[in-house]
Amino acid sequence: MSPSQPLPAKENALFKKILKCYEHKQYKNGLKFAKQILSNPKFAEHGETLAMKGLTLNCLGRKEEAYDYVRRGLRNDLTSHVCWHVYGLLQRSDHKYDEAIKCYRNALKWDKDNIQILRDLSLLQIQMRDLEGYRDTRYTLFMLRPTQRASWIGFAMAYHLLKDYQVAAKILEEFRKTSSTNQNKNVHGLNNNKGTDYEQSELLLYQVMVYKEGGYYQEALDHLNKYGDSEICDKLAVHEYKAELLLLLNRNKEAVKVIRDNLIARNCENRLYYTYLEQALGLTEDNEEQRLKMYTDYQNLYPKSQMPFRLPLNFVNNPVKFKSLADFYLKRSLRKGQPALFRDLKPLYSSECEKIHSKYSFKIAIIEDLMHTYRNNLKRYGSFETDEQTWGSEDATCILFVNYYLAQHYDYMKKFDKALMYVNEALRHTPTLIELYVIKAKIYKHAGNIEEAVGCMDEAQSLDSADRYLNSKCAKYLLRANRVSEAEEMCSKFTREGVCAGDNLNEMQCMWFQSEAALAYQRLNNWGEALKKCIEIDRHFAEITEDQFDFHTYCMRKMTLRSYVGLLRLEDVLKSHPFYFRAAKIAIEVYLRLYDKPLGDSDVSENINTSNITPSELKKLISKQRKAKKKASAAAANTDQSHHNSTNEKNSDKASSESEIVGEKLIPSKLERPDDPLGEAIKFLKPLQLLARERIETHLLAFEIYYRKGKILLMLQSLKRAIKIDDNCPTLLRQLVLFYDFLEKHKAELSPPVKEVIDLEIKSLIGTENVCSALELNDRFSQRNKNSLIHRLESSKLIAILQKDKDAARKNASNVINDLEKLNSVNIEVCAQMMQSVRNGEFGAVDESVIEAFRSRCHQMFPLATHFMTSSEKKLHLMNNFDKESAVNHSTVETSDGQIGEE
Amino acid sequence: MAVSSIAQLPKANENFKSDDENDYYYNKAKPKRIGGIELGDVTPHNIKLLRKLNQVVFPVTYNDKFYKDVLEAGELAKLAYYNDIVVGAVCCRIDNSENMRRLYIMTLGCLAPYRRLGIGTKMLLHVLEYAKNHRKFDAIFLHVQINNESAINFYKKFGFEIVETKQNYYKRIEPADAHVLQKTLHSCNANDEE
Repeated sequence: MSPSQPLPAKENALFKKILKCYEHKQYKNGLKFAKQILSNPKFAEHGETLAMKGLTLNCLGRKEEAYDYVRRGLRNDLTSHVCWHVYGLLQRSDHKYDEAIKCYRNALKWDKDNIQILRDLSLLQIQMRDLEGYRDTRYTLFMLRPTQRASWIGFAMAYHLLKDYQVAAKILEEFRKTSSTNQNKNVHGLNNNKGTDYEQSELLLYQVMVYKEGGYYQEALDHLNKYGDSEICDKLAVHEYKAELLLLLNRNKEAVKVIRDNLIARNCENRLYYTYLEQALGLTEDNEEQRLKMYTDYQNLYPKSQMPFRLPLNFVNNPVKFKSLADFYLKRSLRKGQPALFRDLKPLYSSECEKIHSKYSFKIAIIEDLMHTYRNNLKRYGSFETDEQTWGSEDATCILFVNYYLAQHYDYMKKFDKALMYVNEALRHTPTLIELYVIKAKIYKHAGNIEEAVGCMDEAQSLDSADRYLNSKCAKYLLRANRVSEAEEMCSKFTREGVCAGDNLNEMQCMWFQSEAALAYQRLNNWGEALKKCIEIDRHFAEITEDQFDFHTYCMRKMTLRSYVGLLRLEDVLKSHPFYFRAAKIAIEVYLRLYDKPLGDSDVSENINTSNITPSELKKLISKQRKAKKKASAAAANTDQSHHNSTNEKNSDKASSESEIVGEKLIPSKLERPDDPLGEAIKFLKPLQLLARERIETHLLAFEIYYRKGKILLMLQSLKRAIKIDDNCPTLLRQLVLFYDFLEKHKAELSPPVKEVIDLEIKSLIGTENVCSALELNDRFSQRNKNSLIHRLESSKLIAILQKDKDAARKNASNVINDLEKLNSVNIEVCAQMMQSVRNGEFGAVDESVIEAFRSRCHQMFPLATHFMTSSEKKLHLMNNFDKESAVNHSTVETSDGQIGEE
Repeated sequence: MAVSSIAQLPKANENFKSDDENDYYYNKAKPKRIGGIELGDVTPHNIKLLRKLNQVVFPVTYNDKFYKDVLEAGELAKLAYYNDIVVGAVCCRIDNSENMRRLYIMTLGCLAPYRRLGIGTKMLLHVLEYAKNHRKFDAIFLHVQINNESAINFYKKFGFEIVETKQNYYKRIEPADAHVLQKTLHSCNANDEE
């Protein structure tokens, strides 16, 4: 106890009771005992009691009082380690880890060997990744308690994380020597069953991990050979490590044996094992035949397996051989009715492959050819072959899956009319195969008609409403169509009852939904809601980082050290996850927009894109929105209330700690009026710059922010990073021009050192030739890419911005439109963008007839895309589909549950 | 009285006629069965599949009440799966008209490409089994369009007989007349008990 404020025996006993009550979570009793001490005027200001009272109150959710008492306690007894420790615990429960660490350090000043405080400190240090501090603390703990297992493990782990593998391995080996004798005795004495000592097994494997990461391959292997059979339970890990280590040691013959007898024999579908095997056999890209022979051997060995048949399709480049391999593989899959066949083969289609091996595309042609042959033969003879003896030998579902495949094939090739033809034929054959509706939806989505896609997906979903995958898919398509509330309603079939679906999805950290919703709101210009979703996602990531805390003690105790190290490494790069990237990108874009055009106090952000809606439609839309808003606010009030009630009930110990992390309430109308939008944007940017450096968008977004902030060196940095990734990215070229323009305008203000840096760098940025103006630079970039629509679009936009004379911009835009057929990168998205820009008058007043010509040409190229339909064409399209649909269904009367009628 | 209610839900048969796809092999020869056939329950989650199927298989449309009742029918309504795809369905109900307790097959059908694979047989056997295990039934009966010979032959194989022909039974399709096919069950039950 604290020497400065000693308590007499009776009160001291009471104080110990408070501590006990705290440990056993009997907070009410704890408060009673505290009151007994404090009610005595002599001890009314007893620091440690006050502090403990505060800590207990904190557990009851009375945070403010808690802080008061703990601070008062500390003020009364600054030399008490208890008071400091308590203050640290309070801060920790508030997730202020840095502050908590300071408190613990103060506590240790007054009691430097306090085990409990040292442990708590080490937890915070590892959570905050203060690895040096962690090592020091673990060292102290180790010296104080050298007999405890956790001391050794923690000590070794600290070195491991600091990449000092040698020391880590030494500590572990020393510990193993002492412990294995003890433990074995224990185990033998107690239950005489060495085989089930998983903790010992995990420890040994952890040692292997450390050896391996440190490059001590021989030691690792020896270790495995010594204990692999007797003491390690996870046999698969033993074999996998062995194979890896033998490969690293270039002992290929032995490696082959392990891979063949212990890995592939266990699981012949693990792709990685075959990669190992190829490596062990020294097979490289060029000896196609030997590689193929290796796989053929395994095909014979495991005739029912898939991998040995699939993998050769990747590397066999001899067309004749490829054809016979593909033929066998396709037939087998079609007979099995594998719906995922296309997905399985998609890597053969990917453009990446084409880039690396230009000859790759012949594979697509062969597959296409084979499929057409199958289709003809199956239709005519019920067989893959034409040979009369085989007629009728194939299952009725084969033709179905051939058509299903062809639909996906042509969808991938962007031949949407053909894709639709095949999927419709399949639907005529078997209208009850739900996958077909999913593919049909996908085709419509790719073809640019999202409403039609939603219709198909909704039909798929309705055919098996117990299938959550279909339900989620449908919700996603609804979001793509900007129908957010309907999407939530769709999800509500699977979310908890009685809770608003959106809230429940947030609680479940359902990030695919939230990021799609954010995108939808962004498209709807509903900035507040979009930001809200992004911030919710950001908070999920914070929460996941936070949840890590429990594992520091748990994993050490349970000895799951390999997984623990894996977890720590995952958490370090958590925000490199695509979910974070998407949310951050949307948030930054929205903040940039809000910086460019801040909302006034009364602005409603749901600006409807009025350009292509008729007035009557607009009216409907507005009234619809108004209704939806009313409903939403009523619902919000409702849930708010119910939320309140429920938290009040269970408020006691949980609420305080849980609600902290939830943070302040997100109010869309406030979010869309940020005081410092660029500052907020930078908060989202930072993790991307750290963890998503390889993505060009990161640096493009960074430029946009710094450009608006006028930070010239940071702009330069972003440009340099982007240029390394793709020096011909259209957005990057635009930014280079803007940067050049910025330089021209601000040259006089630059300080000499900055100017020097810029002069040094600018040449490598824009090339060596001299450029006299930003416009000229733009022109040069445009010339360089005169066959690319997207580049031409960007440069046209720049002309409009840089040149006061709108005439030039207009001419340029018209030229682009005239050249349309000659350009590449002409796709739905870019054309739609172009159309939007022209209509928004970004190039000045472009002649209506030019716009119409552009629209109708786009419509010809993308007949299904709604972007380029006039409203009457849209109607006509709907009608046509109505007819087709009913033809598919042969339905004579009933249409009430069909997807055709749209409200 | 029961007849009029039947008239609202006309036509029960296995539709063997092929439609417009004459180039398909399955229209020319008996296909080989490779996959497995399973029967599954009709639930509120998959009832739309049943609708879809009936829409394609039968030239008549069934009303909402039909599907509502099917959900209550338990073992009397089944979906048939071939290779895990729904390709057929059977829906029955209990009929107490004419002082008899009979099982009435409202619909029994299979998608065209999957005919002659034994799916209809599997469904019909299920119904017969049900009737046998619930001994209270006097007979099983159904209506079939008079020109649907393949369906008539199919049911005859299982001991059904034409017991009556109803003029103008169907409202919107030609020919409008229907045979009543019936299989009496008493004898069969008695045989089993012996």
